[in-house]
Amino acid sequence: MASVSEMYDVGWEEMRDKLRKWREDNRRNSEQIVDVGEELISEHASKLGDDREHVPFLIVLSPLPTSLQTCLQELRKQFPDSHRVKRLAGMRLEALERYEEANKHYDAILQDDPTNTAARKRKIAILKAQGKSTEAIRELNEYLDQLPLLFISSAAFCLEELMMTNPHNHLYCEQYAEVKYTQGGLENMELSRKYFAQALRLNNRNMRALFGLYMSASHIASSPKVSAKVKKDNIKYAAWAATQINRAYKLAGRGTKETKYSVKAVEEMLESMQITMS
Amino acid sequence: MLLLKLCILIESRQLGVDIHFSPETMPIQLTSQAYCKMLLHAAKYPNCAVNGLLVAEKTKDRKKDSEPVLCVDCLPLFHGTLALAPMLEVALTLIDTWCKENNYIIAGYYQANERKKDSRPNQVAEKVAARISENFSDAAIVMIDNSRLTMSCFEPIVIIYDHHENKWKSRDVTLDSFEDWSEAQKITSALLEGRSYENLIDFDNHLDDLRNDWTNPMINKSVLDLC
Repeated sequence: MASVSEMYDVGWEEMRDKLRKWREDNRRNSEQIVDVGEELISEHASKLGDDREHVPFLIVLSPLPTSLQTCLQELRKQFPDSHRVKRLAGMRLEALERYEEANKHYDAILQDDPTNTAARKRKIAILKAQGKSTEAIRELNEYLDQLPLLFISSAAFCLEELMMTNPHNHLYCEQYAEVKYTQGGLENMELSRKYFAQALRLNNRNMRALFGLYMSASHIASSPKVSAKVKKDNIKYAAWAATQINRAYKLAGRGTKETKYSVKAVEEMLESMQITMS
Repeated sequence: MLLLKLCILIESRQLGVDIHFSPETMPIQLTSQAYCKMLLHAAKYPNCAVNGLLVAEKTKDRKKDSEPVLCVDCLPLFHGTLALAPMLEVALTLIDTWCKENNYIIAGYYQANERKKDSRPNQVAEKVAARISENFSDAAIVMIDNSRLTMSCFEPIVIIYDHHENKWKSRDVTLDSFEDWSEAQKITSALLEGRSYENLIDFDNHLDDLRNDWTNPMINKSVLDLC
């Protein structure tokens, strides 16, 4: 069969531009997309640059299953850990009614990222397709329970925007750190610690940032997933934060009898956390 | 008394919760100091959600079904954003240490939601209460009914929830839920009218300035003076 470039006498750049336009216009001319796209991937992949990502997705989402295999293989090669790719692989399996395997893909995504709504929706779609309505309802309820997690992701996004436009505002920085901490997970905890540290650089009297630095560093240090060096570094950060906290309390406590309870409580709290870190 | 019970029944039905007196979990009782500080906290921030902890005295043996758990004091925590983890953890750990010093135990959690008509415990409330339950099995959630907050405080405006069969169910709030309701009513009303809530310190205020004392000794003294 003659190639697209031969049939229409077009170069690869024109093919790429055409695909871009179809994508922007949300066109569903699947057969053409598949033909042009497949050729671009197999013959001109290295020249595509940013479009490399979009071309295979465009093809996979077009309703024809014939070229799915090639596209998915290409995607998996380029983006081995991508959730989007896993989801597409799952969708292909769904189309072939191999529901158990499809579910495995979606469960893998959700284990890594419990806020991934797309994966959750696919799981519910499978249950519906299998006629298991009660289970579908149960999964839907679980999905609704995850909504607060979604809200917190939106909160993170909003704060990111605020920080970009107000880089010197230590309050946004510190709030962002708190949101990251609340989202949980090692990566978010490390980000949280960095932003608490940044908030402190902007305002060294921000107690929330100081406490936050202490808590996040302590959590990282007591995590079994970190290397010895990371653990050692975080113990150092936490120890520094603890000294600063104690100092701040002693300063505040001068002259008033009542705050002596706070000072002692803080010292004890810091000591008790040291035990969990070692 | 009957009218009060009827009002509470209607209110609960509107909320769609079960009224369920569970003999297995011990009811909590509020002292005037605990009740009044909760309301002062809610009054200080009328446009925000507020939350805090309730503490009881730690006793060696506690026989089931005999005495209720007396919450002697209330520690206001946050206003506005209640759901962020790090400061909540700091507050819980700090207050836990303070409790050990004073032979108290954290026995309950209170919350007033942001919206007037919403007085159900949400995820935050359930999470904190679950944490408290790890150390105190009869932990309760006390929700403040914002729609009934008035200066005169002629009726109790709290809804108490117990953990029962993995769900939080509200119980009948009677005058027995208070150590001395008429005293609580008198003191709370006086302090609300005197605007003492302006001087109430919560943990958020403490984080803003460490000299602010979240144990609220001044307000405690006012309560004592009015007893």
